Amino acid sequence: MRALTALRGTITVAAGAVLLLSAVAVWAHHSPSAIFDMAKRISVTGTLTKIDWINPHIVIAMEAKGDGGKIDHWTFESNPPSWYRSVGLARADFAKAMGQTVTVEGVRAKDGTFYGYMQKIKLPDGTSLELVNTVDPK
Amino acid sequence: MRKVLFGVLGCAILVPAIALAQQTGSASGKRAVQTHPDLSGIWTYAIDRAPSALKKEVNGTVTIRTVDQSARHGDATSIRGARPSTPKPSYKPDYQAKVKQMSDHESKLDPVFYCGKPGVPRIGPPRKIVQLPSETILFYEDISGDPYRIIPTDGRPHRANANPSHYGDSVGKWEGDVFVVDARNFVDDTWFGEDGYFHSPDMRVIERLWKEGDNLVWQATVEDPIVLTAPWTMPPRLIKPSTELLEESPKCVETDGPKLLNDDHHGQR
Repeated sequence: MRALTALRGTITVAAGAVLLLSAVAVWAHHSPSAIFDMAKRISVTGTLTKIDWINPHIVIAMEAKGDGGKIDHWTFESNPPSWYRSVGLARADFAKAMGQTVTVEGVRAKDGTFYGYMQKIKLPDGTSLELVNTVDPK
Repeated sequence: MRKVLFGVLGCAILVPAIALAQQTGSASGKRAVQTHPDLSGIWTYAIDRAPSALKKEVNGTVTIRTVDQSARHGDATSIRGARPSTPKPSYKPDYQAKVKQMSDHESKLDPVFYCGKPGVPRIGPPRKIVQLPSETILFYEDISGDPYRIIPTDGRPHRANANPSHYGDSVGKWEGDVFVVDARNFVDDTWFGEDGYFHSPDMRVIERLWKEGDNLVWQATVEDPIVLTAPWTMPPRLIKPSTELLEESPKCVETDGPKLLNDDHHGQR
């Protein structure tokens, strides 16, 4: 109930120069272009419902309001737990947002399912975490 | 009779003692300790995953934390004691088409993609080394699990009745300051590199480990006279010491296979 109360979602699709950065940034267990549409960076805002801290990708699940107000069940994979550990993050850093509203940016699966690769997440306390390839602190 | 008995006992005690003193080079009879460099310690996790950094923003303050990927990459620069290396193995002509076919469809065929054990030498350098008088233990962290290898160093031969395995049967010895691990008796379903590097059951892997200052150097040579034209010596890797304790790897569940729409490599290791 709390999740549904907190649920509010939007999906936006952006195109442009930022895409080039994302295309570089998501390169992990397999080539991103084998699954994901690198030409579209999406942003999904919704309720964080699950975190699987597993190999070879961590997986998070969200519920977000989609077209016509229906609830879309999104799943995003990301880099492996060891990668996140190497940058000082643990499952608890994400789990503290469970049941709350988060915004995830990434790329969507080419098959059109509600599946994506998480490149950035903004947590309820305002903290944003982004996988980047360049040391660009802007 | 008593003098004869004491004489025999005396010889029984003295002869081994003299022999020991000669073996150890100690005139005083105090046993000299044969010393080798101590490779024991924790070594930097060898992850090779892009992106290379995490950008964290809290209340407008941005910090960047980069991933240390150095231990995954061969070092082409000169490292003391490194053997000449080449970037790729040389397969016999009869097997080159098979290597290409496997490489072209790597994301469908590579066991490592689907959480398989990488085996030796693909797993790379160890995360932790415990060097004991008669054996050295290598610990690893890997997506497929966290294997260990116990390397006898007491001069025993390879086990005659060991079952083939992903990490093989190993024995170790010292060549000067270099710890040399000889591994063989592998299962034949591992790849020793992402680009379709299959091998025969006769593969033998020689790993050399030594210290370079505070760092560890790891270099492996793959010998497989069945499929390779010559042994392949990989570029050496320089691994920094680490204080980060080993952590149990979470279970591995790869579900992306059915979602792959082309044969792009996954670029893992």
